[in-house]
Amino acid sequence: MRSPETFQALRAPLRPLLAKELAEIASGRALWTMLLLVCPLVGYSFFQAVSLYGEASASASRSAAAVTGLSPLDGILVPTFGSFYVAVTLLFPFVAIRVLGQERESGALRLLVQLPYSPSTLILAKLGAVMVAWVLVSIPALSTLAIWLWMGGHLAPSETLNLLFGHLLYGLLIGAVALFAATICESSATAAIVALAATIGSWVLDFTLAGRSGLAGWLAQASLTQTLRPFEQGLFSGGLVLGIAAVVCGLTALSSVWLPPGTSLAAKFARSLACVLATVVVLGIASQVRMSIDVTEDRRNSFSPADQRVLATLRLPLVVTVKLVPEDPRFADLQRNVLGKLERAVPNVSVVLAGNQPNSAGKSDAYGEIEYAYGDRSDVSRSTSPREILPLLYALAETRPPEPAQAIDYPGYPLVASADATLPWFFGGLPLLIALAWWWSRRPPSTRRSQLLKETCHEHLHKH
Amino acid sequence: MNVNSVNDRKARNALQATNLTKRYGEEDVIRGITFAASSGEVLGIVGPNGAGKTTLLEVLAGLTVANSGSVQWCGEILPASHRKQAMFYLPDGVKPYQDRLVLDVLNFFAGVYGHSAAEVGATIDSVELAPVLRKRICALSKGYNRRLLLALGLLTPQNVLLMDEPFDGFDLRQSRNVIQMLRKEAARGRTLILAIHQLGDAERVCDRFLLLAGGRVRGMGTLGELRMQTGLPQGSLEDIFLALT
Repeated sequence: MRSPETFQALRAPLRPLLAKELAEIASGRALWTMLLLVCPLVGYSFFQAVSLYGEASASASRSAAAVTGLSPLDGILVPTFGSFYVAVTLLFPFVAIRVLGQERESGALRLLVQLPYSPSTLILAKLGAVMVAWVLVSIPALSTLAIWLWMGGHLAPSETLNLLFGHLLYGLLIGAVALFAATICESSATAAIVALAATIGSWVLDFTLAGRSGLAGWLAQASLTQTLRPFEQGLFSGGLVLGIAAVVCGLTALSSVWLPPGTSLAAKFARSLACVLATVVVLGIASQVRMSIDVTEDRRNSFSPADQRVLATLRLPLVVTVKLVPEDPRFADLQRNVLGKLERAVPNVSVVLAGNQPNSAGKSDAYGEIEYAYGDRSDVSRSTSPREILPLLYALAETRPPEPAQAIDYPGYPLVASADATLPWFFGGLPLLIALAWWWSRRPPSTRRSQLLKETCHEHLHKH
Repeated sequence: MNVNSVNDRKARNALQATNLTKRYGEEDVIRGITFAASSGEVLGIVGPNGAGKTTLLEVLAGLTVANSGSVQWCGEILPASHRKQAMFYLPDGVKPYQDRLVLDVLNFFAGVYGHSAAEVGATIDSVELAPVLRKRICALSKGYNRRLLLALGLLTPQNVLLMDEPFDGFDLRQSRNVIQMLRKEAARGRTLILAIHQLGDAERVCDRFLLLAGGRVRGMGTLGELRMQTGLPQGSLEDIFLALT
């Protein structure tokens, strides 16, 4: 006989919850449909990338210098995973929304929130399921790595893992956006609109505002798409990783705030404000973190090690004033060859864009000048090459230039190969395996699965 | 007051709802509802469609924010966020986890609350779910879906079980079986609060009644007390309800 007892906190094991979330996501059509769509999308991108890389390799075979420019990161990995990025942006929100939207629409959410789990535990379990779903939908893209190696291609482990990590973070970000949308919207359709508005909206923002200055440039920088760029360039940026983690945690916290139905709107808004403020503070800290590691095999994001060592000793502030508009191709060259590397090597450097003032482009003799001010000394150059800029900086700092070092011995990895044989895998074999896995996941329970039941109620099963 | 009498009072009024009001816009869906339920009691919230039965259950369960009022458990205020520690609510019209098998959902609840295989088997037995264990929930009839929800409710350990229209979807024989099952559950000391619009079913299963119409309490008590209150010594619950509303 039960007796009325003062209420006490109920605790429950996590395993059944995690198993339920995984089974829920696997039983939905969204995951399998996305997997089937990703196969040809990624497969064709890989096919094209290998073809172009093969043509470039054939052309480069006559020149040793051209061969060193052949990097599988740029030629194969970035374009292949670029199509995966498109799929994640457009399709993954539907997969992620399902982990909550289905329960909301069927009313099961009202049962779920009464189980002895906190809202944050429920949301984290769902986010975990979303991440497992991301791993599953990345199988076609991951299979391209194996095929590339099998074809005789080269993969540098550090830059490959860094790129995969970037895509994982991007998937986590999209998943968190979609989960939050599913939490605040009554139906999955509305949640999909909200999530796609965020993902496609930021994509469009990136397309239309990239290269602009001022507010437009800042907005373009805030685009979700920007999160992948450093990883595609072979950089592991501590600040970026911290920033993405902050946004994911912020969205997860917001989802936890908005999940329980029995909380007043005022309380939800107050808690949301606290979450947003905490996220903004961490984002502010992340923007100050300058730690970044060049993980590329050809060290494309760094000066030579000797130059890096000398530049690291420049303690005074270095101010670079660039009299170019951001759209100018020379600015892109300067950014890639000099400024990006300087920002990583010199402890205290700031870049000022002075070319975006009205009437500066093409109307002033000073347009195109880049002024370098170190301490109370300054100099001007129009070059975008480190070969000219670095001596200028050493002269300003009155520092002895390092001994000319041998260039990093990057051999380049040409590969003349045809990817024709891979098309049947992406258009036939892999989709067939996925369809079989789908069928397997929906099969009735096996004897083993229902063992527990058979032990206790086999009489009923026989009776009926 | 000695210790025994304090315990008796607690046992009598384990759950106390006071002045519960829920407003949507200008309309009071429920207003000033006060009642108590004791351990092992089956309390029927009876009223026509739109009387506020579901809203009252959702407010009690903490799934809907009340504009005013409080809920106490064993004399202590139970905030909305802690209600799930004392009560579990089975909503009406829910078809949970439609792509999953009945067995999977039962195993999920059993896993959450740490039930043994024998307990799961006994629950399946009590609601006669065995024939559909390997069916997907989307393929269940209304009656079997209702049995599944009942089974989930039986697997929960909370002292109070709130159920919205527990007989909806059952024929006469099935209703009688469910009534027996609910009475057994109450006999184990569990408080059952059932929202029912079919007065015949309510009369057969409930110990006491809370008559609700237009969001307000129109009468409360056992059938005998309500008969006295209305001056209808032989009146059925239906007669009493009509007399009070």
